[in-house]
Amino acid sequence: MTAPIPTSKRKYDLNFARWVRDNVAGGDKMNMCMQCGTCSGSCPIGTEMEDGPRKLFMMIRAGMKEEVLSSNSMWECTSCYRCVVRCPRGVPVTYLMQGLAALAAKEGYAPKVENNYFSKFFWMSASKLGKTDERLVPTAYYFSFGFVEGIKRSLANLKIALNMFKAGRMHIGMPHKIRDTKGLQAILAKAREIEDRS
Amino acid sequence: MSEETFEHKPGAYLCGGCGIKDALDMDALEQAVSGGMMVSNVKQSDSFCSGEGYETIKKDIESGEVNQAIIAGCSPRVMVQEFNALGGQIFRANLREQVIWQQPANHEDTQALATDNLRMATTQARKAEPPQAHWDGVTSLKLLVVGGGITGLKAAREASKTGAEVVIVEKTDKLGGWAAKWSKFIPETAPYREPQDNPVPALIKEVEEDDNITVMFNTIVERTEGGPGEFSCRLQTGSDTKWDVFGAVVLATGWRPYESEAQEKFGIGKTDGVITDIEMEEKLAAGELDGVKNIVFIIPGDTDRMVYSSGVSDKVAIKQAMQMVENDSDVMAYIIHEHFRSHGTAEEFYRSAQEKGIIFQRGEVKKIDSDRTVTVDDELLEQEIPMSGIDLVVISTGMVPNSTNIDLEPSEKNPETLCDDINPKAPIFTVNGEEVEDPDADIKSCREKAGEEPPLPGGPLLNLQYRQGPHVPILANGFADSHYICFPYETRRTGIYTAGPVRRAMTATEAMDDAMGATLKAIQAMREANEAKAVHPRAGDLSFPEFGLNICTKCRRCTVECPFGAIDEDPETDYPMINPTRCRRCGTCMGACPVSTISFKNYNPQQVSDMVSAGTEDCPPDKPRILVLACENDAYPAMDMAGIARREANPYMRVIPVRCLGSVTLLWVKTALEKGYDGIMLLGCKSGDDYQCHFVKGSGLAQERMGKVGETLQSMMMEEERVQVNEIAIADSERVTEILNTFGKQIEEIGLNPFKGF
Ligand code: SF4
Ligand code: SF4
Ligand code: SF4
Ligand code: SF4
Repeated sequence: MTAPIPTSKRKYDLNFARWVRDNVAGGDKMNMCMQCGTCSGSCPIGTEMEDGPRKLFMMIRAGMKEEVLSSNSMWECTSCYRCVVRCPRGVPVTYLMQGLAALAAKEGYAPKVENNYFSKFFWMSASKLGKTDERLVPTAYYFSFGFVEGIKRSLANLKIALNMFKAGRMHIGMPHKIRDTKGLQAILAKAREIEDRS
Repeated sequence: MSEETFEHKPGAYLCGGCGIKDALDMDALEQAVSGGMMVSNVKQSDSFCSGEGYETIKKDIESGEVNQAIIAGCSPRVMVQEFNALGGQIFRANLREQVIWQQPANHEDTQALATDNLRMATTQARKAEPPQAHWDGVTSLKLLVVGGGITGLKAAREASKTGAEVVIVEKTDKLGGWAAKWSKFIPETAPYREPQDNPVPALIKEVEEDDNITVMFNTIVERTEGGPGEFSCRLQTGSDTKWDVFGAVVLATGWRPYESEAQEKFGIGKTDGVITDIEMEEKLAAGELDGVKNIVFIIPGDTDRMVYSSGVSDKVAIKQAMQMVENDSDVMAYIIHEHFRSHGTAEEFYRSAQEKGIIFQRGEVKKIDSDRTVTVDDELLEQEIPMSGIDLVVISTGMVPNSTNIDLEPSEKNPETLCDDINPKAPIFTVNGEEVEDPDADIKSCREKAGEEPPLPGGPLLNLQYRQGPHVPILANGFADSHYICFPYETRRTGIYTAGPVRRAMTATEAMDDAMGATLKAIQAMREANEAKAVHPRAGDLSFPEFGLNICTKCRRCTVECPFGAIDEDPETDYPMINPTRCRRCGTCMGACPVSTISFKNYNPQQVSDMVSAGTEDCPPDKPRILVLACENDAYPAMDMAGIARREANPYMRVIPVRCLGSVTLLWVKTALEKGYDGIMLLGCKSGDDYQCHFVKGSGLAQERMGKVGETLQSMMMEEERVQVNEIAIADSERVTEILNTFGKQIEEIGLNPFKGF
């Protein structure tokens, strides 16, 4: 069983560092980081991140749970793996980013971040249909900001949608799905079971 | 000393190999040798270093026809063993590295340079006699090891393995010192990732079972007289004293913990659970660490302390953190540092620590509260982070060298030597109306110059009965001086070798390596002393300074300036009196003597003075000549390397290798100026606290002496720039050419020596 995340109200809580080390994927390797900054410097999204991987790791070491979990950095990560390839100390930066995002979502920090909505609908479509639907995911995402905002965002992307129709990348009618959705559900159930086991 | 006169039978061997004969007119050289140089036995060959050529020289020497072979060809630094094996006295004229490899072929200046090099070599031979052993009889081959800690134990064992008899003198009643208390060691063998078992108990057992080794507990060395091969030591055990004679000494007196006010700010000794790394070692050994889950190691960045930890405390922190994590995987260990130093194989140890989950954090610790909350100013996050919930805080200390015996009162006799500056300034004072240096004032004044460091606590370790005082010289920060850049165990007291933390902060593992090195040196010193030979760097040399006391003015320069304390004043006559086995044959005394009355059989003031003259004998009045006196240890090899790299050099240089810049007498400079040299360049090793001079003080003393040449030049109406001194390291082959070529241009601009041709 995964240990419960420490709930202390302290800004700096060493137990958080310990928890990340023991519970987040790649957390045990985070120690190898020597703060060279190669990851943050290589990251194509680096400028969009509030902190960047290097600083994020430093904050974890200092036990800054609040700041870490409410950071946008791990949500901006596109999993391009540039940091992993370049890190001189073999830190699996991308896994850590994903692990931290999952942790933040679980702890209820994530909704503050826009990307989380997108991830949510992306996952909804992917897990139900076995595919991401080009109409469903963006529409649900746009309208999650409210009705007026939804219309606005949809209209702003209308031209792209029409072009996609012409190119046969979007269609009318029921969303496509994979043949064996039952099998997919079984796989996901098994995955969840394995995750809970550890 | 045999007084028979030596009959010079020189033979000159002109080697044409390695391209020499393509670049020089060999027959013209031969004519010059047999004509002006008056060496009738001249031979040529395409290779004298092997085959027929080699046999020719050998036959000449064996038949007694020749006893001094002047070989003109490659540098005196190559083929040394081959030519020495010939038996006679060997002289070399460097035609290869410093002539044909640096000058255009078949040029008149190149030919002139080669001829002068040969002329200088024949002159050298004419003024040289074969050195002879200056004492005989068997000297002691017993080794004294002072200190029974890990360094001393290892030294004793290594010496015993070579068959030497060893006495360990230990101040306390136990062997093993600090290291015996450690539960684990920093790794010494690959892959350098895990703490290793403490080797001390096994080492103690080996020593106890070793018949060659005697251990004297509760004993100190109360007095030491003599020199290598004949150190007479009075060993004091309680109220008992006993004299013993030793061949050499390994000084392994170790260290004591560093204490400072800075540590108080962390609350060591006051706050519960805030301890030093030394106390931590004791706790680890005693296994008193149950219940410690969060532990913080602090490596403070204060430079005062770092002098005494020098990368040691960093490795200790890793080791202790690792021991904690290994014992209990639930432990969270932080190492907070300002400058982490894990050089060499410790990089692996550091990596391994990270893999084991130890967290390294860079920052300055601002304070530690009474509940052990450590506030760190984190440089990377730019905020002060309070780390709470810490069970134990361990603070790095340092190792203060035991270069004195702190149990003793400071010595009355010459306490100044404690802070012996490396380059004593020599003020002027007069004896018999002559200006000389005050032997007693110089060290004081240099101390004032250095900002009056307070003398260290404690008395001398060996209580040396040397003119230069009772201490083994101590240099920066109280460490026993050793030639730490190039020859780590060499001290300024021949036959006494420092090893372990007394000469720099080091780990127990490093101390064992140190012990091995120093012991091998000590054994060499004993054996060489036994054969009347010199030790490093002129190992095997039999030559010896002789004092022409008939003209000695008792000025004491030689006694004061000998870097090794080899010369005393005769208590009755006040004349210089040498302790032969202490002498390293550097010639610094020779360079110091204002009346040039100190000489070696094969190296003396008149000889080199004549060589200087020989270098400019045939100089046309319109050509410049530059005299280069180059230290044979570093500068001369650097110039050879410039030749190997085929760097074009000024063709007007005439180079004479010297044993040490310290041996350069002002006579040579005067001769050079009178004989029409236009510039003089002295090339020696780095001087000062971070010296590389093989004879420690020679280079510095030479610079000191040359400082006074300016006045002489002015009185001769010559420019001061004509005499310069430069420091060259052995790898400076590019720089040396640059310096010399720039000097050459500078001299051209100043113009030729007005005395030329007179
Ligand atoms: S590249 Fe690797 S070592 Fe460098 S800061 Fe990023 S995670 Fe740390
Ligand atoms: S994987 Fe993520 S964090 Fe790493 S470089 Fe790519 S976007 Fe940046
Ligand atoms: S100065 Fe050098 S050569 Fe002279 S006595 Fe001292 S060690 Fe020997
Ligand atoms: S030998 Fe020379 S240096 Fe030494 S005391 Fe005599 S005159 Fe002075």
